[in-house]
Amino acid sequence: MVITPVHYIVAPLIAAFAIPLLTKIHKDAARIVPGIVLFYNVVISFFLMNHIAEHGMISETLAGWEAPWGINLVVTPFTGFLATMVSILGFIIWLYGYRFKRTLKGGEVKFYEILQMMMIAGSIGIIITGDIFNMFVFIEIVGISAFSLTAFYRSRDGAEAGFKYLLIGGFASAFLLLGILIIYTQTGTLNMAQIAERMPEVPQQMKIIALVFFLVALGIEAEMFPLNGWAPDAYSQAPSPTSATFAAVVSVAGVYALIRVVFTMFDVEGVNNYLMVMGFVTMLIAEIAAISQKNLKRMLAYSSIGQVGLILISFGIGSNLAVFGALFLMLNHSVIKSLLFMAGSYFIYNTDDKRITALNGIHKKLPIVSFFFALGSLAIIGFPPFSGFWSKFYILISAANEKYIFLIIGILLVTIIELTYYLRVVGRIYFAKEEEGEPASHRPSINALVAMSSLALFIIVIGVYPDLIMPHIQNAADALLDKTNYIQQILSVKN
Amino acid sequence: MLKKLIVFLLIATLGYTLAVTLSSIPIGKNRIGSIENPETVAAYYLDKSPNDLKVANTITAVVVNFRGFDTLGEVSVLFLAATGLASILYRKEEEEEEENIRHISHRLNLPSSSLVQTGAKILFPLIIVLGIYVFIHGHLTPGGGFQGGAIIATGFLLMLVSYKGFETNHKVMVWLESLAGLGFVGVGVFGLVKYGSFLQNTGWTGNLNDLISGGLIPLIYIFVGIKVATELTNILDILLNIKPRKK
Amino acid sequence: MMDFQTLFEQNIEIITIAVYGTAIALIVIGLYAVLMKKHLVKIVIGLSIMDAGIHLLFVAVGYISGGTAPIFSPGSENAATTMVDPVPQALVLTAIVIGFAVTALALSLVIRLYKHHHTANIDQLNSLKW
Repeated sequence: MVITPVHYIVAPLIAAFAIPLLTKIHKDAARIVPGIVLFYNVVISFFLMNHIAEHGMISETLAGWEAPWGINLVVTPFTGFLATMVSILGFIIWLYGYRFKRTLKGGEVKFYEILQMMMIAGSIGIIITGDIFNMFVFIEIVGISAFSLTAFYRSRDGAEAGFKYLLIGGFASAFLLLGILIIYTQTGTLNMAQIAERMPEVPQQMKIIALVFFLVALGIEAEMFPLNGWAPDAYSQAPSPTSATFAAVVSVAGVYALIRVVFTMFDVEGVNNYLMVMGFVTMLIAEIAAISQKNLKRMLAYSSIGQVGLILISFGIGSNLAVFGALFLMLNHSVIKSLLFMAGSYFIYNTDDKRITALNGIHKKLPIVSFFFALGSLAIIGFPPFSGFWSKFYILISAANEKYIFLIIGILLVTIIELTYYLRVVGRIYFAKEEEGEPASHRPSINALVAMSSLALFIIVIGVYPDLIMPHIQNAADALLDKTNYIQQILSVKN
Repeated sequence: MLKKLIVFLLIATLGYTLAVTLSSIPIGKNRIGSIENPETVAAYYLDKSPNDLKVANTITAVVVNFRGFDTLGEVSVLFLAATGLASILYRKEEEEEEENIRHISHRLNLPSSSLVQTGAKILFPLIIVLGIYVFIHGHLTPGGGFQGGAIIATGFLLMLVSYKGFETNHKVMVWLESLAGLGFVGVGVFGLVKYGSFLQNTGWTGNLNDLISGGLIPLIYIFVGIKVATELTNILDILLNIKPRKK
Repeated sequence: MMDFQTLFEQNIEIITIAVYGTAIALIVIGLYAVLMKKHLVKIVIGLSIMDAGIHLLFVAVGYISGGTAPIFSPGSENAATTMVDPVPQALVLTAIVIGFAVTALALSLVIRLYKHHHTANIDQLNSLKW
């Protein structure tokens, strides 16, 4: 095999270390090199997905030590699916942000590019690693980049949002370390498959305390209630491509980490119900908060938290169909929310005002961007025939199968709330009277248009032909739920 | 008042939970198990480090080889922190003039006494040599790249606080920083290309307790040492000078 | 003359309480500082204290009664059975460096905030809602 999963991490690292030198040779290197690297990650993804379709899952050993002794990188249909999704979106976000970077000065472009690229690479690292401490390291890589990018504009609010994010992130890493400490003393290993294998021997009390530490720590990363106060601030203060990355990439990695730990490592009864309840509360509170937002990006951020809540609910239901729905929703959420952030940031760019009220009649100035925003709004609410419809549909069916009536009512209620606040914005864009007739000063550039239309195309095509993607998601869901196979495949070398 | 109560309850809960948990993790108990038939990673490492890798310091073997990928991540965390720091404290030129007036007292303005200056001048080379010693002997004695790098950075810190005009050579720093990072990844890629596993050590490992032993492990630790030293010095330099980096 | 191992085993309760007590105290004090202190730098210090407590815990659970540092010196090539657990020490090394990186970044943000607000009191920074 020529391409191995470690390329996902090595290529961005080489680029990150080399960019300070390359900028001395050519001043545009800092902008172009990350694009090449992120495109290479897409190539790796397709290669690996083909490979595992033919030969089964990959567990790559690092430093020549077989799992569980060394660190291993695991690509199953589940992790491969997420890694593919993240790398494609990472590349599209780079493409979108290419123009944005021209507005920055030389030194800043370099910093921005390195941080942004490493945030995406770190997220892929969280997804493919098979070692719990290695996951901690990648979470910190993502965290450090995210804190810096939140404060990147060096505005007053940016620094405040960054500091708040950093404090909560500091808690998360402290609790994660405590969880790892307890697990290490009980099992004597750090490999997630082996921990899962030895978990039945761990005393119940230890197991639950460790699980609580992990849930608090990873709940922060996954934007779960009640420790998601950082998210709206960070989303609204970060540069726009970074906001899109938070929604499309970082939150996916956070949810993945939570699910991997809860589903694979631990075997505690009742944690599913916990996920369901917390997901429900997260969703309800976030969606209600979204209605009262005056700032467009904050509204989108609360909507993201709401979506994450729904994803957690359906992981909590735990049936195969529900997990399928959850993964489908993760995909849809990433794609649609990136599109909304991308389109929304052009509104903000032109009106120079983050408030929703500034959007009155903007469709005459920016017809294409307005169209994309409206499309994304309809898709995320779940109108057929857009892709968002199918994920919500399957989640509702799975809830009905398990007879969770209150969940169905809750999800439908939340859909009505979403309908209200998204259509309010779309209504302003299309039907409100515009204030001035000045033409738009910043029209979207070609690369941003390509990025947005590829996402819009995906939303429509998957909405009409969901069969194109459904087998992959089904494989991913099966791989996630088949814990025994995961453990056996990774530890097979040892036995 | 309510906030105080909630915080108190939170702290009490955390303290109590930790106390209860730790009471069933006895201190000093052997949790490693047998070295010959390793069940835990610790036993495996204690067995393989002297016998296969020929690295006397097991912690170095764990940090650089068994869990070398973590260390690569750790080095990049440091690198990202320096990048983030620079991006947060970077200033546009127009801002600079105004801020210079307002924050004139940012650096210690009084010159340090000649006692401190002379002392720093004498200590500086010694500190650098000690740091280099520590990271070159990382596989034999306690210490290694991180510790050595930190020692070197303290040397630079001493110079930065003692001499007002002291400046590190940014060009050299940028080159060292990048090349050390690339060197670490390069060693990893060498293993990937030659043996098919990233960061894999060479078959030739020498004798236990020799200075040149352990295959590529000392080389990696030298790269880590240089990287950490430059990175920490950069961070100190940015924080003390609060100036945009020289281009 | 008692050797260290017997001394340790005779006083294991006191040592346990001292070491774990210190670690828990550090974690709790750090948490208190982060949640209750008003000064931004004190909050950052609190975060570091919390990290220090956790690092102490890591090293403590890795200790084995009578164990030596996991370094094979000449003449003790087969001493693996009398060594302490090397893994927590390696993990702590990683955790310390990461903690350092977070602290450095936090301080840079404090500098930024101070420049904008001309104060380091957290009560006066409320342009964003919690």
